[in-house]
Amino acid sequence: MRGNKQTQQLAKQLFALSLDNGVLSSERVAGVLAYVEKHAPAKSIAVLQAYQRLIAREVARGQAIVEHAGPIDGNVLKSIEGAMSQRYHRPVAASAKASPELLAGLRIRVGDDVFETSVSAQLDALASAV
Amino acid sequence: MFSLLLAATTPAVETAHDAVDAHAAHADAGLVHELVTKFGIDGVNVGMQLFSFAILAVVLYVFAIKPVLATMDQRNSKLAEGLKNAEATAARLEQAQKEATALVQQARLDADKVITDARQLSKELAERETAAATERANALITKAEASIALEHKKMLDEARVEIARLVVATTRQVLSKELSDEERSRYNAAAARELTTV
Repeated sequence: MRGNKQTQQLAKQLFALSLDNGVLSSERVAGVLAYVEKHAPAKSIAVLQAYQRLIAREVARGQAIVEHAGPIDGNVLKSIEGAMSQRYHRPVAASAKASPELLAGLRIRVGDDVFETSVSAQLDALASAV
Repeated sequence: MFSLLLAATTPAVETAHDAVDAHAAHADAGLVHELVTKFGIDGVNVGMQLFSFAILAVVLYVFAIKPVLATMDQRNSKLAEGLKNAEATAARLEQAQKEATALVQQARLDADKVITDARQLSKELAERETAAATERANALITKAEASIALEHKKMLDEARVEIARLVVATTRQVLSKELSDEERSRYNAAAARELTTV
């Protein structure tokens, strides 16, 4: 239990070193990984797993996955990037992902947040309301 | 008895003395004397016989007549007492019959009252049982109606859900086939505007 806590603390320290002005930097991440590879701290695998989860969460927070049914314009993605960056006060990159089960409309995932306006969601809401 | 004998003999003696006196007075007195002589009537003998008869009468009276009279008086008193007792017994019997009649009448009245009370009680019991049965029946009916209404509502809800599910599924299939890319693109642009303005 005590070792697990120390592992989490070390992973958080490594994650903090990976940020450049609050933004995740690939160079810093590469440096952190090189440091870990060189010095091999105790329980390095557990530390790296915790560090990976933190990095993945941060990456997800900076990425907007836009699920869509039917064609989507590039301007739409740019407008979504701008709106999400403004909303979360950090750069958010949008990436499109086809999802035909939506029938029509969009579902945007930013980290754990989900924004959706789609025909499928409206039909589900209608079924639930009835 | 002795007095009767005396009463019977005394007139005879007086008659004899009257005859002697009459002999001196009348000429036919010799006829009486002749008769006394012929029949051998002697005054001493007659007196002795009278004395003997008196003794016999006294003895008979003391030892025979008096006990017989006492026994008769006793029997008469017993008969009178028996009659008196019979009358009292008859009176008691009559009183007893009256009391028995009164008791029977009272018993009849009591029996009638008991029967009336029993009928009233039976009637009340029947009414209470009827009311309780009616109440139970009403409760059962109310419960059954509530159950039926609940079941009806549940069925309607299930039907509504099933219909909604079928409608949604059908709509989903229709839209997935009928929506064109242009319509989807327009819908996506509208959705993007909506999401970016939130």
